Amino acid sequence: MKSIKNIFSNNETCSAYLFNLPTIISALVFIFLPVIGTLITSLFRDVTYLPGKFLWFSNYERLFADPHFWQSVNFTLLFVIVSVVLELFFGLIFALVLNEAIPGRGFLRIAILVPWAIPVAISARVWQLIYHFDYGLLNFIFMKLGISNTHINWLGSSSGAFISIVISDVWKTTPFMTIILLAGLSTIPRVLYKQAEIDGTNFLQRFFRITFPLLKPVIVVALLFRTIDAIRIFDLIYVLTGGGPGGSTTSISLYAYNYFVSGDFGYGSAVSVIVFILAAMLALLYIRFGRFGEVIK
Amino acid sequence: MREESWIKLLKFLGSAFLLIFCLSPFVWMLLISFSSQPDFLSANVKLIPTFNNYVQILLNSSVHILDYLKNSIIVALVSAFFTTFFAGLSAYAITRLRFPGRILIPLLLLGFSMFPQISIVGYLFKLLTAVGWINTYYALIFPYITLGLPLALWIMLSYFSRVSLELDKAALIDGATRFQILQKIIFPISLPGLLSTFILIFIYSFNEFLFALMFTIDYNARTIPIGIALFEGFYGQIPWGYTMAAAVIAVVPVILLIAFFQKYIIQGLTEGAVKG
Repeated sequence: MKSIKNIFSNNETCSAYLFNLPTIISALVFIFLPVIGTLITSLFRDVTYLPGKFLWFSNYERLFADPHFWQSVNFTLLFVIVSVVLELFFGLIFALVLNEAIPGRGFLRIAILVPWAIPVAISARVWQLIYHFDYGLLNFIFMKLGISNTHINWLGSSSGAFISIVISDVWKTTPFMTIILLAGLSTIPRVLYKQAEIDGTNFLQRFFRITFPLLKPVIVVALLFRTIDAIRIFDLIYVLTGGGPGGSTTSISLYAYNYFVSGDFGYGSAVSVIVFILAAMLALLYIRFGRFGEVIK
Repeated sequence: MREESWIKLLKFLGSAFLLIFCLSPFVWMLLISFSSQPDFLSANVKLIPTFNNYVQILLNSSVHILDYLKNSIIVALVSAFFTTFFAGLSAYAITRLRFPGRILIPLLLLGFSMFPQISIVGYLFKLLTAVGWINTYYALIFPYITLGLPLALWIMLSYFSRVSLELDKAALIDGATRFQILQKIIFPISLPGLLSTFILIFIYSFNEFLFALMFTIDYNARTIPIGIALFEGFYGQIPWGYTMAAAVIAVVPVILLIAFFQKYIIQGLTEGAVKG
């Protein structure tokens, strides 16, 4: 007992490591080890019921030769670009609204958290019903408003499925964007707007000359977080379309998952490594162009 | 003055749009869960309110909806507790003590958080199978703690760094150990930060999908998002009324959390993202 007490009170370095022990151990065992394991597994034939075999890079060769893999890469990148841009757009609108002194702001702030807080798998089920061909809410609204005079096959056609996934994802993740942007907005001094108002500028000029430039670093951070997150998209697609129709909405994560489930760990690991490299490249891109360091301060 | 009324109108439209945008799927879920026919939008079908969907899924023992909910809540509570505690320990050492790795640990964790879950799920599955944890709470709790640590650490760092070091010095002179200082001084002062972290990690763990899908098999450990995603009902076809009733039951805990702790959640998200 006494020796432990000594370590705690006397030796700063020792106690620092003791304090960090749980964090270090869990990161090593549950992230670092699996990452290394995945890297190694991706070089092997690792299939249930077959003996393992070292393959060098042939899992990767197989991967790059598979049109379904490229389809999933294309789908994922297109999805990331379209949905992140839309989220930024809506997120900016909502953040501007919430930054104003409006009646019921507390309730609006709770409302904005609802899509974020509901588990994706569960909201995906609700969306599935909203997109329903025969009695879905969306087709009902489209028919009533005269936007379309026939029922649209939202989840059964590849373009419909893509749009459905984007709508649901934008709904789910705009709140996160909003909150980050809101934090950025609240740091912009009100005095600037007052001064600009006296100078006779209009609302749009104030947005593009004050708000947008000052918000830019925060926008970059928000985009970084959302892009890295969007590129891993899995649960929404798993529940909403299952990757269909005809594999047209299979994201890279879902593509990898399908191989893990069928027992091909070597190939699935190779795909996982690619997902990781993609995410890492994007992160580096942002850090380079977004001057990320300044934001951290 | 004309511009002012324009802005007023824009604010009103913006708020209305925000409400409709955010809440309509939720309202739709509620509506269907209380209606006897999910297809009441079609011609000749009427909306008849009923509690039957709730009664059915709660009484039918083969649905296990309450088991899933119980599993989710236990896993999320335990994960949130340990994540917050571990992150607090680390954050204390990083903000208070000088040691090699002081800068490296948070940066490495931030780097680790960039690994997509899919890139560790396969190997983790093998590890968990090897130790016999598949379909137990451990298979979820340990990975969730690790997933939550980077965010938790960054939030705690920003709270702890605002607490004056003089307090530590005074307590050290009085003969307190480092752990006592953390427990009796720093934690109580940083309570809002602890609460933010705890709630965020709770919600993230409650919502997690991929690991729960891979590492659980049945109602002994399966969490509610998986239960509802795989809910096919008793007769093959998707029973929308039952599914929506189950969904409402599942989201009650998180809706309550955001209703009561909105401020802490927004603070936590802000600290974690903008500073981290």
